[in-house]
Amino acid sequence: MKNNYSRLKWVALIIIGGVLFFLSKAANAATTTPLPLQQQEVSGVVEDQNGLPIPGVTVTVKNTNRGTVTNLDGAYNIIAPANGTLVFSYIGFKTVEIPVDNNEEISIQLEEDVSALGEVKINAGYYNTTERERTGNISRVTAEEIELQPVVSPIQALAGRMAGVEVTSGGSHPGMAPTIKIRGTNSLREEGNYPLYIIDGVPINSTPVESNSLMSSAGIDPLNNLDVSNIESIEVLKDADATAIYGSRGANGVILITTKKGREIGTSVKARFYTGMATVPNRWDLLNTEEYLEIRRAAFENDGVEPTERNAYDLLLWDQDRYTDWQEFLYGGTSETTNANITFSGGNETTSFRFGSSYYTQGTVYPGDYDYRKVTGNLNLNHRSGDNKFNLSLSLNYGVDTNNLVGNVGFNATTAFLPPNAPEIFNNDGSLAWEEWGVAGLDNPLEGYFNTSNTQTNNFISNLTLSYEIFPALRFKTSMGYSYYDSKEMRKQPSQSYNPADETPNNSSHLSAGRKSWILEPQILFEKSFNNLKIDAIVGATFQENIQNQEGFRATGYASEALIGNIAAAESIINARRESAEYKYAALFSRIGINWDRKYYINLTGRRDGSSRFGPNNRFANFGAVGTAWIFTEENFIKEKLPFLSFGKLRGSYGTTGNDQIGDYGYLNAYEATDGPGGLYPTGLANPNYSWEVNKKLEVGLEIGLFEERIRAGFSRYRNRSSNQLVGYPLPEITGFTSVQANLPATVENSGWEFEFSSLNIDSKEFRWQTSLNVSLPKNELVNYPDIDQSSYANTYRVGYPLNISLLFDYTGLDPETGFYTVRDVNEDGSFDYQDRIIIQDLNRELFGGINNSFSFKNFNLQFLWEFVMQEGLQTSFDGGTVGNSRSVALATLAGESVYQKISQSAQARTAYGYAINTSIPVEDASFVRLKTITLNYNLPKAFTRKFGMENWRLFLHGQNLLTFSEYSGMDPERTSSGIGNLRTITAGLEINF
Amino acid sequence: MKSRLSINNTFVIAIALLFLSCEDFVEVSSPNNKLIQQDVFSTDATARSAMNGIYNQLFKAAFSNGSRSSVTVLSGLSADNIRNINPSNYTRMEFEENELIPDNPNNLYLWSSAYNIIYMANSLLEGVYNSENLSEGVKLQLEGEARFIRAFSYFYLVNLYGEIPLLTTTEYNNNQLASRSLIEEVYDQIINDLEIAADVLGTDYLNGERTNVNKYAATALLSRVNLHLQNWEDAESLSSQVIAETGTYQLLDNLNDVFLVNSKEAIWQISPIGDGGFISNTNEASMFLIHPVFSFVASIQLRETFVEIFEEDDLRFNNWISYHNEEEAFFAYKYKVWNTSEFPIEEYSMVLRLAEQYLIRAEARARQGNISGAVEDLDIIRSRAGLSLIADTRPDISQEELLDVIIEERRKELFAEWGHRWLDLKRINKAGEVLGQSKPMWEETDVYYPIPAEERRKNPNLDQNDGY
Repeated sequence: MKNNYSRLKWVALIIIGGVLFFLSKAANAATTTPLPLQQQEVSGVVEDQNGLPIPGVTVTVKNTNRGTVTNLDGAYNIIAPANGTLVFSYIGFKTVEIPVDNNEEISIQLEEDVSALGEVKINAGYYNTTERERTGNISRVTAEEIELQPVVSPIQALAGRMAGVEVTSGGSHPGMAPTIKIRGTNSLREEGNYPLYIIDGVPINSTPVESNSLMSSAGIDPLNNLDVSNIESIEVLKDADATAIYGSRGANGVILITTKKGREIGTSVKARFYTGMATVPNRWDLLNTEEYLEIRRAAFENDGVEPTERNAYDLLLWDQDRYTDWQEFLYGGTSETTNANITFSGGNETTSFRFGSSYYTQGTVYPGDYDYRKVTGNLNLNHRSGDNKFNLSLSLNYGVDTNNLVGNVGFNATTAFLPPNAPEIFNNDGSLAWEEWGVAGLDNPLEGYFNTSNTQTNNFISNLTLSYEIFPALRFKTSMGYSYYDSKEMRKQPSQSYNPADETPNNSSHLSAGRKSWILEPQILFEKSFNNLKIDAIVGATFQENIQNQEGFRATGYASEALIGNIAAAESIINARRESAEYKYAALFSRIGINWDRKYYINLTGRRDGSSRFGPNNRFANFGAVGTAWIFTEENFIKEKLPFLSFGKLRGSYGTTGNDQIGDYGYLNAYEATDGPGGLYPTGLANPNYSWEVNKKLEVGLEIGLFEERIRAGFSRYRNRSSNQLVGYPLPEITGFTSVQANLPATVENSGWEFEFSSLNIDSKEFRWQTSLNVSLPKNELVNYPDIDQSSYANTYRVGYPLNISLLFDYTGLDPETGFYTVRDVNEDGSFDYQDRIIIQDLNRELFGGINNSFSFKNFNLQFLWEFVMQEGLQTSFDGGTVGNSRSVALATLAGESVYQKISQSAQARTAYGYAINTSIPVEDASFVRLKTITLNYNLPKAFTRKFGMENWRLFLHGQNLLTFSEYSGMDPERTSSGIGNLRTITAGLEINF
Repeated sequence: MKSRLSINNTFVIAIALLFLSCEDFVEVSSPNNKLIQQDVFSTDATARSAMNGIYNQLFKAAFSNGSRSSVTVLSGLSADNIRNINPSNYTRMEFEENELIPDNPNNLYLWSSAYNIIYMANSLLEGVYNSENLSEGVKLQLEGEARFIRAFSYFYLVNLYGEIPLLTTTEYNNNQLASRSLIEEVYDQIINDLEIAADVLGTDYLNGERTNVNKYAATALLSRVNLHLQNWEDAESLSSQVIAETGTYQLLDNLNDVFLVNSKEAIWQISPIGDGGFISNTNEASMFLIHPVFSFVASIQLRETFVEIFEEDDLRFNNWISYHNEEEAFFAYKYKVWNTSEFPIEEYSMVLRLAEQYLIRAEARARQGNISGAVEDLDIIRSRAGLSLIADTRPDISQEELLDVIIEERRKELFAEWGHRWLDLKRINKAGEVLGQSKPMWEETDVYYPIPAEERRKNPNLDQNDGY
């Protein structure tokens, strides 16, 4: 009650102030010419149905461009004509129009509006659209879904959340680049399948950055330096209608990342902190020492071979009772993660700002002290002139991260599969043990353990957009971006990391990469309504220049370990290389969107692109698309016949996009310096004639809303055909090299169904339950490849099958005499080669998706996302007998009860095993259902928090990859090709708003 | 209305201008770390750098660098002088057991590194032919050196694989589908290249470094080629030309000096400088050398059956072989400087040396019935090794016996160098007879390595050798 009184006091004050102001205005008016309409001041408070004030509600005077926004207490204050109308609008609430009618106070309650979700503004890159009006296929996730995820790159946060978007973790080391595929693999080249990343209007090179550290396999994600909690939304553009405006770079889809902007009136501070830990959730089921040695002994017995110190060092030289669980040793640790961030935002009617800063750290699960840290800072500034004609928007994102991961260490599956009685890794004094490994002719598997590596990256992304309204319908806008990425890596390799016998000197390797880019995009925007016809158009141009450079060298022969890294103290600098590449890009683009009566939509987009990556004769090409939509629920006959249908839209699009992701300068026949002094040598084959890859995309979609939009569903059917394939065309090495860049007369088709569904199951005052689901059924096929038999791909791809296949031998069972695997010699030529690999194994996902549930009860909110994937994967290590551990299935073989071959250590058995792993034997179901994320939020009661002067106080618990259900026998069904995979993470934290 | 029109016109013009500027905008200058091929061959100095580049890369190329995937190691294992210590190194064991599969990665490295060097030689030759700016002398010099390198690479390919694609251009469009040429055709090309090289190259070593080939390097290799082709007369006369250059080449009395940098016995060596500085000595040392302190690091040891053939007081046994008590094994000790980054470089990797020329001439003479001449050459080698002379101990030696002695002498002199033993056994058709005894898996078809599976996958016109 106290509160209400104080609010009333405020209201009264405002009213009095308003009256005084009005009087003075009126007095003023009286002395000058009379106003055509009598103006008065109106004030009030806007609340939601629960009586809580809503800040940020837009209050405008209808048919004028005068407007304001409510402050933190939900209060506003505006000058309006006495006979005018005020429009109150806010995302997620029904818009309300109230006539002023000489009232000086208008306080209202806004009703939540589920159907208004359709009015949510969607970023389509060069223009905005809404969920309702979009003609293309754009998926969107918002801050709420990703901000609490303890991941380094925002891409990782997208897993399972969008139809048609496949995200695979890059590995278990923090900072490794995940793989994202939007509607499948379009290019025969692995590096030609990166989508286009655009952050606040600035394109960012999506290729992972090279590293010498443990991240070398996947590379470093260039988005690592973004603060995940600073992202307002991520839009993924999928079909031709949405991507054609990006022309030659839109083939693999576009990911638009928009950072948060200040919009509050007044000042607010928000702080958040969480901390938690991650572990490797799974283990291989491996043999213990007793079992392993039994199998080894059986192998020699079966072969009738006498074990010698040479071929059986694990039996004769090594301790027979020693047991090390190498998996536990290797990745049994716990990785700690902590995140803290703070943001300040504020502003007035014309200017707003948001400043934020964050700190993130994550450890690793390995023995040793490695970690990842990042610090980010970001600033957003928006300003518009009082008459709304001039707009300025500035966004700056800066991030520094440091990755202390070691390079060159056997933190991989090979170490996990060491014999369980293998010698100790460390001596008692902590140094690496060599002697016992050495008698077996082996090196310590953790050779390099004392190496340290430090990768530091700086990333600055800035954009300034200015726009000015020349005429009411015409706006000139220019967007200017500059981005800078810099990565410096130093790996220290002290000699104590290596076998003393090698006399490896103290070394360091250095790698640095820089990516600088500027972009200028002048545009003219036109928007006008003619009765029922509305036209929305853009014409613009892009100029972009990227300069990349890379430098690497090794410094060797430091006199002492302490000096490593101090290059001046090195005896010599070797293997120095320096590369630089310049990439220029210019384009013209345009878009015309026409709609009739908010019922029929047509959207035309086009782009003419030029890229320096192509030979002088092939630099330019045109791309374009047409998209249409029909909102059939606007038709009267539908409204009458199908009243339960609150929304219905049919849409379709067709167009072309391109792909120019290929190395620079490939058309030059060039020489480079050799590592040895004074030499030049050719480093690749040149093809002056190659050109764009063209991706033609076709899509139809149906979207419906039922029962006042409480249920929404969308179906999409797409077919993308990527032709003129631009590849590092593999060549036999007799040509001197392994490949040449060239266009292939091949067509890859990605087609599929996508289904998105969301429902508001329960919506009562205290309890709310929402569900959303997405399912993708992708199909990938090499549809056409003339004369594939004559090409270098003859034995890599098969026409009519997906690109991601494995060609396997036909397994014909165990040889009854030898007990070893046999495979069919199809052409009976006595040898087993690719001509005998007739079984085609599809390794793509057959189906994937996610189901997200959100429950709100009073101040509690629980959200959880299940990710599900149907696919097949491979798992080997089923044979026993040779040096090295096996999975426990080998025990069944020992007992003579398995499908696997006789336990043996012979060369013949190894050869047979070599064939067997290329048959269907290792293929198994790698489908999985995974609890990808789960978050429990609790908002402390406002009455309580306000006592401490805080607006809101939230506690949360978050889990990542907590549960996985799968039949797969390996570590992580998501990454069947490699080891450790996704970590299981649990975090807890709190958030405070002032 | 009027003003709006003119503004519209301005926009149209502006856009047209933008469009025109686009075309120029996407021009980029060439990168600072690359030199376009035409520019490389526009000056004598940069063209010379292209040749230096090939010499440098020979120390990087798997087949020629003396390291784990080199002819020296892999073909050495295929014969009966050396063995691999670690049996879990399957890709190497397959060479030792003569059980190669077409997917063996070492086999692919051997093959592809040789073709990569051939590409460089072809590219250099094309650059030289097409250049108008190079001086005539440099042109000839470069042509000779590049032809030598090409012939040298083909010599090993044809010996290891039999019929192989014979490529003399950089035209990958044609080359990628090339089928295998007859062995004779390959040898014709090798001889042609070497004859031109011997003709145009000078007698001096450029900069006094025996890593640059001269006339006699070409002559020496040509003499070996003729020995392989059983052109005994040519082999004899060519080796005689080299042996006659006593001012340049001498057999060194001290066996410990043979493999040193620019040793007088060297006809052609490859320098570890090509590595770019990390490695300051030969890879052979790291493969064969028993470490003074840590015995277990040597990868390759000598077979007991090989060590047994040395006579007791053979200086080569004393100087080129070491015994390790703890390991109870023998190791090759021709290269003596452990591979560290200590500079200056003390040893180069030996490719051609004078002792081989004596042995070639001995064999060529013996084949032609010149027993005394052959014994004379053979005894020069034996006497350097501190052994009794055949002329004294077996004055009535028959041709057949003499040939056997020469082959055995080659084995003792040239072990752990460039797979000589493997090539010899095949050349004299005794691979099966000899290796069949010590290698249980031996099959007649093992004399040729398989064409790498990866290559056949990409080039459907490559057929496979028998037995794979």
